[in-house]
Amino acid sequence: MWKTTARRMIIMIPQILLLSILVFLLAKAMPGDALTGLLDPSIDPAALEAQRERLGLNNPWYVQYWDWFTKALQGDFGQSFRFKMPVADLIGQRMMNTVWLSLLTLVLTYLIAIPLGIISGRYHDTWADRMITGYTYLGFAAPLFIFALLMLWAFGFHFGWFPTEGSVTPGLTPGTWEHVVSKFYHILLPALSMALITTVTTVQLLRSEIIDTKQRDFIITARAKGASEARVYNRHILRNSLLPIAAFFGYEITGLIGGTVFIESIFSYPGMGQLFLSSISLRDFSVVTALVLLYGAASIIGALLSDMILSAVDPRIRIK
Amino acid sequence: MKKKTRLKGSLFVPLLLVFMMMLAACSSNNGNGNATNSPSPTEGESSPAPTESAKPAEDGLYSIEDFSNVKKNEGEPIKGGSITFGLVSDTPFEGTLNWNFYSGDPDSQVLGWFDEGLLTWDKSYVYTNDGAATYEVSEDGRTFTFTIKDNVNWHDGKPVTAEDWLFAHEVIGDPKYDGPRYDSNFTNIVGMTEYHEGKADTISGIEVLNEKQLKITYIQSTPSLLTGGVWSYPLAKHIFGNMPVDKISSSPEVREKPIGFGPFKVESIVPGESVVYTKNTDYWRGEPALDQVVLKVINPTTVIQQLESGSVDLVDSFPVDQFPDNADMSNVEFLGAIDRAYTYIGFKLGKWDAEAGKVAPDEKAKMADINLRKAMWHAVDNDQVGKRFYHGLRWNATTLIPPSHPEYHDSANPGLKYDPEAAKKILDDAGYKLSGDYRTNPDGSELVINFISMTGGDIAEPLARYYVQSWQAIGLNVQLEMVEFNTFYDRVGANGEDDPKVDVYQGAWGVGIDVDPAGLYGRDAIYNFPRYASEEQDKLLAAGVSQEAFDVKVRQDIYKEWQQLMVEEIPVFPTLYRAALVPVNKRILNYAIGDGTGIYLHQLAVSQDKPFVAE
Repeated sequence: MWKTTARRMIIMIPQILLLSILVFLLAKAMPGDALTGLLDPSIDPAALEAQRERLGLNNPWYVQYWDWFTKALQGDFGQSFRFKMPVADLIGQRMMNTVWLSLLTLVLTYLIAIPLGIISGRYHDTWADRMITGYTYLGFAAPLFIFALLMLWAFGFHFGWFPTEGSVTPGLTPGTWEHVVSKFYHILLPALSMALITTVTTVQLLRSEIIDTKQRDFIITARAKGASEARVYNRHILRNSLLPIAAFFGYEITGLIGGTVFIESIFSYPGMGQLFLSSISLRDFSVVTALVLLYGAASIIGALLSDMILSAVDPRIRIK
Repeated sequence: MKKKTRLKGSLFVPLLLVFMMMLAACSSNNGNGNATNSPSPTEGESSPAPTESAKPAEDGLYSIEDFSNVKKNEGEPIKGGSITFGLVSDTPFEGTLNWNFYSGDPDSQVLGWFDEGLLTWDKSYVYTNDGAATYEVSEDGRTFTFTIKDNVNWHDGKPVTAEDWLFAHEVIGDPKYDGPRYDSNFTNIVGMTEYHEGKADTISGIEVLNEKQLKITYIQSTPSLLTGGVWSYPLAKHIFGNMPVDKISSSPEVREKPIGFGPFKVESIVPGESVVYTKNTDYWRGEPALDQVVLKVINPTTVIQQLESGSVDLVDSFPVDQFPDNADMSNVEFLGAIDRAYTYIGFKLGKWDAEAGKVAPDEKAKMADINLRKAMWHAVDNDQVGKRFYHGLRWNATTLIPPSHPEYHDSANPGLKYDPEAAKKILDDAGYKLSGDYRTNPDGSELVINFISMTGGDIAEPLARYYVQSWQAIGLNVQLEMVEFNTFYDRVGANGEDDPKVDVYQGAWGVGIDVDPAGLYGRDAIYNFPRYASEEQDKLLAAGVSQEAFDVKVRQDIYKEWQQLMVEEIPVFPTLYRAALVPVNKRILNYAIGDGTGIYLHQLAVSQDKPFVAE
């Protein structure tokens, strides 16, 4: 198992390398660069040219890539042209916002999914099951960005229960209890909006697993032995049905990252997703490449995590 | 028009410099307000707003004339109070909170509350002596002597000095400077180039006379110096003096605890999303009426709800296309001003010669025939475009100096009128014969005109299609391509590499406070996208910034002639002028948008504790 993990880690290196080259090439293929936006008649084009030269934008791509790569290895992802600060610091500033948002979403996702999945699977074909599956179909069909807007309108503006933008109430001192509470209050609505949509896959998965497991031979055996219904469900069915859910955990993290891109811009929540979108439109390449790399690495690690969990929880599976 | 700008994503905007000083935050409504020229989105962003008195006519049209740029004061101011200012943006503000370094419009909105320039200007954008500093110009117009008023102090209590002002010039002129300010206004200072190149230790043209007096000598005297040509933002030397120049913009003194000498002080900042200001009791114009201002970034998609619920009292801009549906919002008054911007159609008449740094007009260009360009202008009905697409909040443009510069805009010049019959006749006479549906070149070869326009906003594409149809109606085979902002300017030639496949394009400029159009149409301007040049124009542009042009009358005549020349030669033709509208909660007193209103932020007050909420 540790060997497998180690091997997977080693494979990750060329994966990330390849990803970084791809990202870099794609970024360069986009029309315009960070200076295109500076359409200013009073700046001498020669001065712009000098700046391009200084930033190395005129070098062939492999030279630029190498420069970038060697620095990235030392943790220096360059300077954001727009924010005029190191990319690593900039992302660091935003990352915690996104991490808290994703974390809460994840917690909410499972808080919703597990009870719903269990009810739906245990009492399948009852009205409760039908309601829950109805909800999951709706969840599959509703695009996240529309649903989030509706939530924002309804609970943010119409009822006014939640703040509608930002990550914290202006003017609070970081470190105080109010500050923490305010941060939580600000991520609650976006996290809930996202959890309500992303949870449906897990609900469905859990439901079908339970229904499937219910008819297995070993359940029939358990019942025949006279185990109580509660024991059958809690000890036998649930344990087995939760396996794939646990395994799915890693991928869930990856999916969340994609979701936060939308959610953050809708709720004007300054996290990495919002930074990503605006950096693309402004051609702030150093930020874009660093973020894509980060997202890519998160996906790869997420997949690895899933495999590891799977082999840990299910003794039948041992990756050789 | 001079100065700088920058765009931002789709919203865009540049604003720069000087501007907001007076009314911080008020000057630009749609993000184009800049002291400088900047590209504007052709679509979308700017918006208009109606005052409540602005009732739409029966046909659902509005007119900028129905709007006031000054808030009606209803009720008595209460003591103190706190307001919320909404910075409408789909991205967080960058946080480069110093006039000497910032580059995006959102940052300038944040800056406007706590810092300002030393000079203010009037309605015609000419520097006045009402600001924190006064100035005198020497006989030859090259030497300016500035005197900073005695009671002008930084927020930490230290006086704003001539040294600070000099220091700002030294930092911007430093080769390691990483902001966008080092431009022709700086190279016009005696000794600046030498300093920038490291050949001199000091800037010979700037002299500190005493603690509060500074003398700057410029190489060339031009009337543009008086309209935004002086760098009037000091940099606190006692704070930044020992920092390496390239580290200043990322220092905490710029990003977390910025300093200024404006009416409010920064109390706390949440990076990218909000700022809390408290009043600066030591403000040189007098103690501000409000106790506190909270600035927060709000998403353009939610601006209406924010206004209705009173979550924000003021916003920096308002999407114009949402105005008609919200004209009767009961808790706000819409202020309006003519935006310093115009939309236009440009014709590619040549290329950029990068080596010579000049435009290279090409007589054989597809659009080189003036008759063709004239016919295309006659063929489009911009009056209807303004009414149908923008409810009258954008309207037919006639010349290349917009009415936001009333002294120079030639309102007597009608431009070319919508007249498709005349257009057809011009083409017939010039030999463009119909063959099938479309006309051919006079020599019988096929004529296909490629037209590109920017995406963005709901109106962009239908509008571009309307133009294509209008041109097809007079027999021209015009092919449309919609492209994204960056691609658009890349292909039009912002980097000097013009795409030869582009013949006609629709663009927009936000213009600077100075009228000089040389930065957009001069022979050596890379942003002269049509690549048009003529000796006559060279003469007019030079005359416009000459010594004689210090006489406003003379300057007006010169630019009148230039506007007429552009109507005759049509390298580009203006299509629409725009209104900028800003909604303001009814409890707000003493507020105005636009320039030279004489209303300053320290006077801003409220008539009640809580904002009005829409019914």
